[in-house]
Amino acid sequence: MATFQRHRAFPWLLLLPQLAIVAIFFFWPAFQALRRSFYVQDAFGLGERFVGLSNYVAVLTSALWQQALVNTLLFSASVALGAMSIALLLATLADRVLRGAKGYRTLLIWPYAVAPAAAGVLWLFLFDPSLGIISRALGSLGIHWNQRLNGGQAMLLVIIASVWQQMSYNFIFFLAGLQSIPASLLESAAIDGAGPWRRFWTITFPLLSPTTFFLLVMNTIYAFFETFGTIDTTTGGGPNNATTTLVYKIYQDGIVGLDLGGSSAQSVILMVLVGLLTLIQFRYVERRVQYY
Amino acid sequence: MRYRRPGLDVATHVILIIGALIFMLPVLLALMASTHTLPSLLSGGLALLPGSEGLDHYIQLLTQPAGGVAVPTWRLMLNSLIMALGIAVGKLTISIIAAYAIVFFRFRFRMLCFWLIFVTLMLPVEVRIVPTYGVVADLGLLNSYPGLILPLIASATATFLFRQFFLTLPPELLEAARLDGAGPWRFFRDILLPLSKTNMAALFVIMFIYGWNQYLWPLLAASDADYATLVMSLRRLTIAQDGVPPWQLATTMTVLALLPPVAVIVLMQRWFVKGLVDSEK
Amino acid sequence: MSTLTLERLNKTYGGNVQAVRGVDLDIADGELIVVVGPSGCGKSTLLRLIAGLEEISDGELCIDGQRVNDSEPAGRDIAMVFQNYALYPHMSVYDNMAYSLKNRRTPKEEIRRRVTETARLLAIDDLLERRPRQLSGGQRQRVAMGRAVVRQPKVFLFDEPLSNLDASLRVQMRQEIRRLQKRLGVTSVYVTHDQVEAMTLADRLVVMNGGRIEQIGTPMTLFNQPATRFVAGFIGSPAMNFIDLAHAEQTPWLPASTPGGALTAGIRPEHLQLVTAGSGDLPGRIEMVEPLGSESLVHVRLGEHDPLLVVRLSGDELPAAEQPTGVAINGPVHLFDSDGRRLP
Repeated sequence: MATFQRHRAFPWLLLLPQLAIVAIFFFWPAFQALRRSFYVQDAFGLGERFVGLSNYVAVLTSALWQQALVNTLLFSASVALGAMSIALLLATLADRVLRGAKGYRTLLIWPYAVAPAAAGVLWLFLFDPSLGIISRALGSLGIHWNQRLNGGQAMLLVIIASVWQQMSYNFIFFLAGLQSIPASLLESAAIDGAGPWRRFWTITFPLLSPTTFFLLVMNTIYAFFETFGTIDTTTGGGPNNATTTLVYKIYQDGIVGLDLGGSSAQSVILMVLVGLLTLIQFRYVERRVQYY
Repeated sequence: MRYRRPGLDVATHVILIIGALIFMLPVLLALMASTHTLPSLLSGGLALLPGSEGLDHYIQLLTQPAGGVAVPTWRLMLNSLIMALGIAVGKLTISIIAAYAIVFFRFRFRMLCFWLIFVTLMLPVEVRIVPTYGVVADLGLLNSYPGLILPLIASATATFLFRQFFLTLPPELLEAARLDGAGPWRFFRDILLPLSKTNMAALFVIMFIYGWNQYLWPLLAASDADYATLVMSLRRLTIAQDGVPPWQLATTMTVLALLPPVAVIVLMQRWFVKGLVDSEK
Repeated sequence: MSTLTLERLNKTYGGNVQAVRGVDLDIADGELIVVVGPSGCGKSTLLRLIAGLEEISDGELCIDGQRVNDSEPAGRDIAMVFQNYALYPHMSVYDNMAYSLKNRRTPKEEIRRRVTETARLLAIDDLLERRPRQLSGGQRQRVAMGRAVVRQPKVFLFDEPLSNLDASLRVQMRQEIRRLQKRLGVTSVYVTHDQVEAMTLADRLVVMNGGRIEQIGTPMTLFNQPATRFVAGFIGSPAMNFIDLAHAEQTPWLPASTPGGALTAGIRPEHLQLVTAGSGDLPGRIEMVEPLGSESLVHVRLGEHDPLLVVRLSGDELPAAEQPTGVAINGPVHLFDSDGRRLP
C-alpha cells in the first residue's frame, strides 16, 4: 500500500483517541484484574495482602465455580447447536426459494436487534407459571412448569430465549454462504446423479464448513458473554445457581459479593479461555484474509 | 440450481412461514398483552387479540414513573438514545481515523499500535467488568454519559473493518491524489471518507444496536435514575408484586425497548447485512 | 517548456535490493521518451522516482535545471497516467479532472474553462457528468489522460497506460497519445513493456535491464545498431537469432575483419534466406513452419545441440517441414563479445 512517508506527527494525532481510550478503559482494567487476582482485600477494603496463586486455587477448587463452568459449557453447546441447526434449515429453504428470499430474510433477521435482556423478558412472559401461554399449555399436558423452582427448566428457558435471539445472526451468515456457492457445482453434482439430499450433504455442507466453524466460535462467545442480560432478567442465575454461568458468577462475586480477588482471578481465567478461542478463530480468519 | 418440484416448493414456503411466525410469536404476544389489564391476563383466556386498554399502558409508561423505575420511560429512551448514538458515532470516529493512520502512514511502532488495538478484539467488557467499574469510578464518570459510553468503545472491531476496507483500495488512488496536490487531510476528506460511506452506514447500524441493547454496563454505571437506560430497567418490571409481576407494563416496556433497534435493522437491512457479513469475513 | 535531467539516479530497497542503478538521462523539451524493458527491470520504479512517489536513494533529479529530489509529488508540476487509471470512483468525470486545480485554489471560472477545453480536446465533453464506473475502458483511459492534460504540467508520465485496453483500441489510443503529445509539446516519459508501442511512440527509446540503462537512442538506431546483445534480443519481433561461436576465425561466413576467439553472432530473421540443401552459408533441417498469412516463420535446426534459427519468409513461401535445407545470410551480422557488448 502506498503511504504518506513524510508526516511523522500526524499519524500519532490520528491514533491518539483510540489509543487513549483503549489504554484507559481496556488495558488498565485488564491489568488491574491481573494484579488483584494475586491479592486479598481485607474486610474493610482498606488494605490488601499478596497471596500468590491462592485466589486461583480457591476458584478452581470451588464447587460453585465448577458448577458455573459446567453450566456454561452445557449452555453454550445447546445454544450453538440449537441456533445453528434451525438457522441452517431455514437458510437452506430460503435459498431454494426463487422469489421472496429477501422477504423471508427480513422476517427472520430482526430478532438480532432485540436486546438479550428484552428477549429474556419476552420468554419469561410466555413461561410465567401463573399466566404464561406456554406454561399453561404444558400444564394441560400434565407438565408442571416453574423455572423458579426447577433448575433444569430454568436452564431450558434461558437456552430457548438465547437460541431465539441468536438464530437470526446465524441465518444471515448461512444464507450469505449458501448464496455464494456456485450453481455450477450443484448442477454438476446433479448431472453426476446426486439427489437433493445427497447434494446437500456432499456438496453444500462441506462448502459451508468455513461459515459453520466461524459461527460455532461466534455462538460460543455470544453464549459466554452477551447472554448476561437474558440470564439476569429471567432467572437471576437461579434457582440454586442452576443458571449461573462464568460471567454471571464474576458479576455476583465481584459486584454483589465484593470479593475482588476471587472475581479478578475468575476474570483472568475467562480471559485466557476467550483468548484461546479468539486465537483459534484468528488463525482460521487469517487463512481467508490477505494481510500485507 | 433449483429443481422445479411444485410439491417441494409449497412445503418450503409453508415451513418458512411457520418458522417466521414462531419467531414473531413472542413479540406478537407481548404486543397483545400490553393492551390488556393484568386481571384480564390472569383470568386465563389467551391474550391473542388486542385488549381493552389500547395504547393506555404506553402513555402511562411514557409519562409517569412505574414499578421500581423512578423516571418515566421517555427519559429512559432518551438516555438509551444518547448512549447508542454516542457509542455509534464515537466508535466510528475514533476507528476510522485510527485505521487511516495504520494503513496510510509509515511510522515507528506502527505494528505495535496495530497489535495493541487488535488485542482488544478478544475481551468483551463483561470479562473485565469489575475493574472497569473501578476505573470509571476513580475517574468520577459514574452516572454520566461519558461513563456510559467510553468503556464500550474501547474495542477494535470497527478499526479492523475499516483497515480491511482500506487495504482493498488500489494504491494508485493515493498516488494520484498526491500528484493532484492532496495532502493527508484532503485525501482523507475528499477521497477516503466518501468511499467509506457504505461501510460507515453498516457499522453505524451494528454499533447503534450494540449500544442500545447494553445491559450489564449501564446497570453498574448508571445507579442514578437520571442516567438509567431502557434495556437495563426492564428487569424492574418483572419483579413480582402480590405474586405476579405487572406483566401488562413489562410487556409494554419490552415493546418500547425493542422497537427502535428493530426499526433500524429493518429499514437499513441492506447495509446491515453487508456490514455484518463483510466485517466477519 | 521543460527539460528533465536524471544524474546517477539510484533506488535501493531495504538496504540491498537495487531497483535502479546509476541512471543518467537527459530529456529535451517536448521530447517523448519511452522506457522499455522486461518486467522487474526497474522502469516503473524509475517513473515513480521522477513522480516523487518513491524517495530517491542517491543521485540527482532536475526539472528545468532545478533540483527536485526533495519536493513533494504535487510540488514537481508533473502529471501521471496510471495503468489502472486511478480515477476517483465517487467523483464525476468533471470533478476528477477538476480536483488538482481545486487543490491549487484555481478560480472556479478558470477551472470550468480548462476542464471544458480539455474535455473537448479529448472528445469526452459529453461524459463530464458521469461516474467512472459508467464509462467504457477506452473512455476511462481518455479521462485519465484528461486529468493529466488539464493541469498543463511541465512533464507527463505514463505508466503502461494502454495495457488494460483491447488490441484495436490500443492501436487507436497509441496514435492519439502521440498526436496529443506533439500538439501540446509537453516533455513526456512513457513506460511500457510492449516493444511495438515503444517503437511507434518514441522520439528516443531507453532500454532498461536489471535496473540499468542498456542503450538510449532513436528506435531505428536501437534496431539497426543494438549496443548490447540484450537490446538486440529485446527489440525486433520475431527476436534476433544468436549463434555462439567458439572460434570466430574459423567461421567462413563472417567478414574477414572479425577478431578471433569466442563471440556471438546475431542475425535478424528477415536477413536469412532458405536455399537448396548443400548450398548457402549454413546447413540445417526444417523443423517447423508457422504460416502467419502475411509472412511465414521457418524454424531451422542447425546441429543437434544448436538452438533453432528462425527464418522469416514472405507469406506465400511455405516450404515442407522435415526437409534438409541450406540457409543463406543476406543482411548485416551483429557481433557481440562474451560480455554481450557490440563489436564495431
